[in-house]
Amino acid sequence: MQLLRLAGLAAVLVVSLLFAVFVGDQGPWYFAWVIGTIMIILISGAGAILLDAQQDGKIGSSSDQEV
Amino acid sequence: MELYALLKLIWAALLCVLLIGLGLMVGMDMGVGTLLRFVGRNDGERRTALNIIGPHWDGNQVWFILGGGAIFAAFPTLYATSFSVFYVVMILLLFSMILRPVAFEYRSKADSHLWRASWDWVFLVSGFLPMFIYGAAFGNILHGVGYHFGWTGQYYQDSSFFSYLLNPFAILCGLMSVALSVYQGGVMLMLRAENPIHDRARRYALRGGLTAAVLFIIGGFFITRMQGFVFTAPVDPAMPASPMHGQHVAMVAGGWLHNYAAHPVLWLLPLLGLASMVGGTLAARMNKVILAWWIGLGSWIGTIGTVAAAMFPFFMPSTTTPDQSLTIWNSSASAYGLTCMLVVALIFVPIILCYTSWCYYVMRGKVHTADIVNDSHSY
Amino acid sequence: MDMINPTVVDLSRFQFALTALYHFMFVPLTLGLTFMLAAMETVYVVTGRKIYKDMVLFWGKLFGINFALGVATGITMEFEFGTNWSMYSRFFGDMFGTPLAIEGLMAFFMESTFVGLMFFGWDRLSKQAHLAVTYLVALGSNLSALWILIANAGMNVPHGAHFDPDTMRLQFDSFVKLIFSPDAQAKFVHTSVAGYVSAALLVMGVSAFYLLRGQHRQFAARSFRMAALFGIISTVAVITLGDVLGREDYMEQPTKIAAIEGLWHTSKPPYEPWILAALPDDAKQENHFEIGVPFVLTPLITHDFNTPIRGMHELEDAAAPRIESGIAAVSALRRYQETHQQADLDAFKAHEADLGFGFLATRHAPNQDVTAIPADALQSVVEQTKPDILPNVFVTFWSFRIMVFLALYFFALFAISAYLSLKNKLERNKLILKACMWSIPLPILATEFGWITAEAGRQPWTVFNTLPTFLSASTHSTSYMVFSLAGFALLYSIFIAAELYLMFKFARLGPEAHDAPHSDDAYAAHCAVVGTPHASGH
Repeated sequence: MQLLRLAGLAAVLVVSLLFAVFVGDQGPWYFAWVIGTIMIILISGAGAILLDAQQDGKIGSSSDQEV
Repeated sequence: MELYALLKLIWAALLCVLLIGLGLMVGMDMGVGTLLRFVGRNDGERRTALNIIGPHWDGNQVWFILGGGAIFAAFPTLYATSFSVFYVVMILLLFSMILRPVAFEYRSKADSHLWRASWDWVFLVSGFLPMFIYGAAFGNILHGVGYHFGWTGQYYQDSSFFSYLLNPFAILCGLMSVALSVYQGGVMLMLRAENPIHDRARRYALRGGLTAAVLFIIGGFFITRMQGFVFTAPVDPAMPASPMHGQHVAMVAGGWLHNYAAHPVLWLLPLLGLASMVGGTLAARMNKVILAWWIGLGSWIGTIGTVAAAMFPFFMPSTTTPDQSLTIWNSSASAYGLTCMLVVALIFVPIILCYTSWCYYVMRGKVHTADIVNDSHSY
Repeated sequence: MDMINPTVVDLSRFQFALTALYHFMFVPLTLGLTFMLAAMETVYVVTGRKIYKDMVLFWGKLFGINFALGVATGITMEFEFGTNWSMYSRFFGDMFGTPLAIEGLMAFFMESTFVGLMFFGWDRLSKQAHLAVTYLVALGSNLSALWILIANAGMNVPHGAHFDPDTMRLQFDSFVKLIFSPDAQAKFVHTSVAGYVSAALLVMGVSAFYLLRGQHRQFAARSFRMAALFGIISTVAVITLGDVLGREDYMEQPTKIAAIEGLWHTSKPPYEPWILAALPDDAKQENHFEIGVPFVLTPLITHDFNTPIRGMHELEDAAAPRIESGIAAVSALRRYQETHQQADLDAFKAHEADLGFGFLATRHAPNQDVTAIPADALQSVVEQTKPDILPNVFVTFWSFRIMVFLALYFFALFAISAYLSLKNKLERNKLILKACMWSIPLPILATEFGWITAEAGRQPWTVFNTLPTFLSASTHSTSYMVFSLAGFALLYSIFIAAELYLMFKFARLGPEAHDAPHSDDAYAAHCAVVGTPHASGH
């Protein structure tokens, strides 16, 4: 079972590598879109988690802290 | 047979499948729309009816979009000519089709009685009218349409749109299509709703099924006496797809029966249609709802199949310049285009079938009025 | 040959522009909001904090209102090629129809099926499965845009098709050339990220509205932060891709780039200024006044310092021999249609590349018949046709500038907002919050003007250098057009009124409307109950 999962992950990895090579070659802007969109989502998500952390860090400091 | 001719045939068959899927799935939603004001006596009941098709109407509507897209890609000349020739009717169809998504999304988002009552009327119009036009379009192309092409390939219209609207056979076909949609919509409501909606829906489903059967028989008699279209010289199915030359066509009374005379096995198609309409009505009467739903598919296969078998290989014959009639052979895309589309379809249709059925699986079960009214996300 | 009715052509163009621009008010928001919802839900699944689910639900509701109109008005577009542009659809449908059909199969089906699950499946799916559904909706809507823009790129740069005299249309011959054309790629990414910008500004603006009123502060602060970061990166991307598209136009559509830059005469590098503002006069073919920044134009468009860019007068002169050759092509083609003789085919093949320019001369030929121009009238027909190769310069020039100035403004706004949000200094800067709120409609304006730049700049062609717009339209009577236009005007006005009413209603109600009420205190209480470390602090 573990081995199967590992093989599955490896397959996904190979497919995405092939995809990256092919699309990066034929369609650099399409590739940029895929990477860029993922990046935008991750960064904006990280921003929100950072806000949680910023507020958690200020526990008890003030009751109407700035957001 | 040459590959190009085979590709044209495959796409004509796929177009039939799409038209059947469209009739069944979109027709079902439209039927619920038509019935909305009759099966639902108060707001809660109407919302229940709407939410029964709520998670699926959007996906079903894609049958319609896909039908348009497939005609455009596989038979561009047919798309270009038929949509323009039927301009006024097509625009009416379009207006009712664009009202529907808005009605679904907006109806229950505000509380005013007037707001909701207005959208309920929109459901009636946008359920009835498209199905009527869908059927009437078949009636009109069976009759033949007045148009011809100039040397550049531009079409020119030879008759007014009134002749397409005020045509008894087209009206009959339109009403039959509405009846089938009411049947299917009613059965769907029976499947998912509880009383009192269930019983009311059953009443309308029974009426819809019987009406469709009667109109189907009357329509059959019309067709036997109608001017059909036949080739007067052999045609090369692999010809370059241009309506401007290469065909010789004549109008012959009873011409639409020639294919049936040549291949008597085709009579199974109208038989299937009629048997399904009657059988489905009986199944609904005996409350075998799931069976009745699937028999509805048989009615659509039978109906569209009957028309296709009669007209083959004509798509939209021209009454004023029969030689330029659009057929499977002269209105298709190029061999390259058809091949590309076929490959894409072979990849994506199975995927679509998988996730659509998964969606139905996830959303299965009865829809309860109380849950709908308390959930602000529902339609 | 039947005469072209210019009124019907103009009304058809007007109707298409009206319905396309209307459709395009909703599409960018859909493209962006779906991915923003996916981002919010990702955070919800990762952190498990309910406030992020509230965000998905609330912004999802605004998305739903918008999505319905996007779908509805999209149906119009699919119909209109057939109902109003019959000749175009027959002539170009072999190639153009393919991406449209694939859009249905691959993208629209996915988007529409899963959008139902996204709204209704919360209780029936696991968190992860629902997140996957949300991503599929986002991917589906953007793939939709991909195929539509591939089709549109085909109109602008028709690579992957050739004219076939036997079927009298462009025959599709290369799928790879079609989908991987640089124009299609740049157009898609540019449009998709423009949608991200629109959605980010909507979320940011509505959040700013709550922050200004001191309502739903936790909710608004998180939404604002995510939107600001989403927006700033997207704006950078949209500007980058805009530059790429400009270079594409420079290489493939010289008339479009010359009109965009108001460049009547071939540029003199490196000094040539980039015109900030001017009053282009299409009739006199000159600019009435110009304010420009020297040394900018050449590197901006060519990415080097010494390549001249061809001006509109020079492009007109270069078109004259093509028009003459095109007239010969059309004449030979017509003879071939009647005779099917090899000799006529050869005559056509010799001039094939200029066929479109021959069609373009139709309006100036005696009796609108290009095949029967007397020899002594030929030069005057060519001279009259020459200016027709240019788009409307005033419209192209200014729509481009409005789009660019707005993009620069968004860049500044997102940069400041993202900075203030990261520093937690937002609520002190009421001015920025107000600017965010009032800027909500501006991205719609920018995307619409971008669309006008691209499409008005393509004129006078529907298929660039191949099929003129005035030949593409269906041969309807004026009364048909009046009927459909009146219907669209009525329906679309009702739609926009209903949409705005609902949008304002739900934005005012705020995130609490759909759930048990939870103000910031209630949110803290809720956190206390579920035991997240967030419990105290307010």
